[in-house]
Amino acid sequence: MKLKTIAILLGLTAITTQAHADRLVIKGSDTLGAKLVPQLAEQFKAQHPDTTFDIAAEGSTTGISAIIDGTAQIGMSSRRAKPAEVAAASSKGVNLKPIIVAYDGIAVIVNSANPIKSLTKKQVEQIFAGDVTDWSALGGSAGKISVYTRNTSSGTYSDFKELAMKKRDYAGSSQKMAGNEQIASEVGKNPNGVGYVGLAYTNASGVKTMPIDGALPSVQSVHAKTYPYARPTFYYTNGEPNGLAKEFLDFTIGKPGQKIASQVGFVPLP
Amino acid sequence: MFVKKFTLVAITAGMLAGGTVRAQDAGALLDLLVRKHLITDQEAEEVRADLTKEAATTSAGKWKLSTPITELELYGDTRMRYEIRTGEVGPPNTLDANGDNTQRNRARYRLRLGLRGVLMDDWFFGLRLETSSNPRSTNVTFGADSNNGPFAKNDDGINVGQAYLGYKGIKEVTLTAGRMANPFVTTSMIWDPDINPEGLAEQWKHTFKISLGGGESSAGSVASMSKDGKTVASAGTASEPRSITIDLFANFAQFVYDDENPENSIGPAPSGVPRTDAYMLGWQIGAKVNFTKTVYLQLAPTMYNYTGNGDTFNKHFSGDPDFLDPVNGRTSRNQTGINSLLVFDMPGEFGWTVGELPMRIFGDLAVNLDGDKRAAAAGHPDKGDNRYAYQIGLGLGKLKVKHDWQMDVFWQHVDQYAVDPNLVDSDLYDSRVNMEGIAVRLGYAVTDAITANLTYGYGWQIDDDLGTGGTGDAFTINPLDKYQIFQADLSVKF
Repeated sequence: MKLKTIAILLGLTAITTQAHADRLVIKGSDTLGAKLVPQLAEQFKAQHPDTTFDIAAEGSTTGISAIIDGTAQIGMSSRRAKPAEVAAASSKGVNLKPIIVAYDGIAVIVNSANPIKSLTKKQVEQIFAGDVTDWSALGGSAGKISVYTRNTSSGTYSDFKELAMKKRDYAGSSQKMAGNEQIASEVGKNPNGVGYVGLAYTNASGVKTMPIDGALPSVQSVHAKTYPYARPTFYYTNGEPNGLAKEFLDFTIGKPGQKIASQVGFVPLP
Repeated sequence: MFVKKFTLVAITAGMLAGGTVRAQDAGALLDLLVRKHLITDQEAEEVRADLTKEAATTSAGKWKLSTPITELELYGDTRMRYEIRTGEVGPPNTLDANGDNTQRNRARYRLRLGLRGVLMDDWFFGLRLETSSNPRSTNVTFGADSNNGPFAKNDDGINVGQAYLGYKGIKEVTLTAGRMANPFVTTSMIWDPDINPEGLAEQWKHTFKISLGGGESSAGSVASMSKDGKTVASAGTASEPRSITIDLFANFAQFVYDDENPENSIGPAPSGVPRTDAYMLGWQIGAKVNFTKTVYLQLAPTMYNYTGNGDTFNKHFSGDPDFLDPVNGRTSRNQTGINSLLVFDMPGEFGWTVGELPMRIFGDLAVNLDGDKRAAAAGHPDKGDNRYAYQIGLGLGKLKVKHDWQMDVFWQHVDQYAVDPNLVDSDLYDSRVNMEGIAVRLGYAVTDAITANLTYGYGWQIDDDLGTGGTGDAFTINPLDKYQIFQADLSVKF
């Protein structure tokens, strides 16, 4: 009788473990998590019908925190982990491992009615830092510039500061938006709007992408690193990924995953 | 393949051996290696992650800074000093023997330790701890406290010298609140350099560049001849366009000079003088004209005024010596009152170089526009002309790096009613006014961080009918005449 009970308990434990292993929790970057990762998950599920996904795209900071806290198997991030995050991870015995899953070019977008045809890196810095506040100073029609940025938990927010603004602070008047889609939407509605979005969001209606120092974000310019605001995007795991996380990672950086990345506007791995 | 692996291993090992090398420091090198296809982006990321992790586990990496801090700097200095001061009692002192002299020798040290940081969204802050609570000195005298036996620590205190918060979010403007470094361009004739005033300051600076043309390459226009007589092309030295830059600046401050406590006490409202805090207000508009990279002229006209009352310095300044009161015996006169001070001040400096040697003429001119009222209130209505102060000097060299030297020689004259005696330099001349004299400073940079300085000053009473106003730093005698000071300093800056 006792042996039977133990066998049943072991069987239940095995079933529970199996059910847990088929659930993949992914948290982090809105840039990755709004479009790319859900589509990857959908395709992955077609091949692994038992898998369930729990995806939360609330900014890169939340993704790295989730790996440190052990509340996700994969952390999505559009930026590298900061030293403070690496230190926090180390103190908890977590080894933050970055894996590049695709590339992105942070595109500077303006309203499609804006007559300005291109910007320089200096002008971009001046616009987002608030040194220049009217389009007429840049050769455009008179109008107070409305700057839209991501919120502070976004990897794009800090990446753009580093890549485009010499780490300066954003203009005090800038409006912080929750995601790329919101920025594209606001700029599309506001003739004086300017913002930045991941490459995947440049096809939104009412916006156009500005060449920066003559370079537009594209597969070629990002691979060649000639576009100034190009960056890798990451999955973070605790040490070498294994199990379902590794399977999903392999799928992401494999041909099918990279094809999806390309379709949603990311630059695939070379 | 071998080269690639070797490169990767060498980079990682080399940088990890660096201990505190941070991942971002390696960024440019890793980017270059990726561009050269020696390593992949993924491999570069793994090296970066290793370096970041390594840095985070070093001593420096363990310091945790709160998220709003984007930059933090630890700085400070410590100084060992040996000092000799001597002085004589001058007329009109009737209580001490005229000509009697006094001497004070003391070995001293000071420590100043500061943190200044930049916060998110253009805010900044600073904190500096200093030995000594004296506003005009951070020195502690060796052996001066013996309450608990020799080497007691009673006067080896740690005091907050600076604590301020500021905002730089408005282009070219800096706003500061708190206990701060003096925001004014000034000299020790007006402000002792150790004073950190308390209150608000607003600063603005804008640089204009005026092009004077020129700047074309001389190639082709000037040919030279070779030894064999053939014409050869010149070296083509291109001259830079000539221009003058003008740094225009404005500094304004509202300092809380003396807090009234309380403004309204329990009981019937007091009559007479209203009970309000005393403020010192300053307005300065100046310019530094850079004629070339080494030739400049700076002028900074300033007005200082005082408002309100306070409860410590709201008495009429006298500056005269003690007197014998028939009832109370030896009685002191006021040495700190700030009545009738409306001071116009103009520090200036003209600098140039001779060869590699920087030289400058510096000076300061001040006049108390209310000097006659201050003299009258002191009981000397006929001394209203004693309202001027000036300093003029010559400087050679500059202490910047190891083996640099510097020498400053200047003359200073400060009339009894010219400036605020509570703010003047405590070394030259012992925090006094109604004194003039000469000072020489010699400095040598032993290393980039260590400097040795020698200072000598000699000053004497200007108007023999008046005391030498001020509280005095080393001496209490008034008038202070034939004052000499010698200081030998060894300082470490970090």
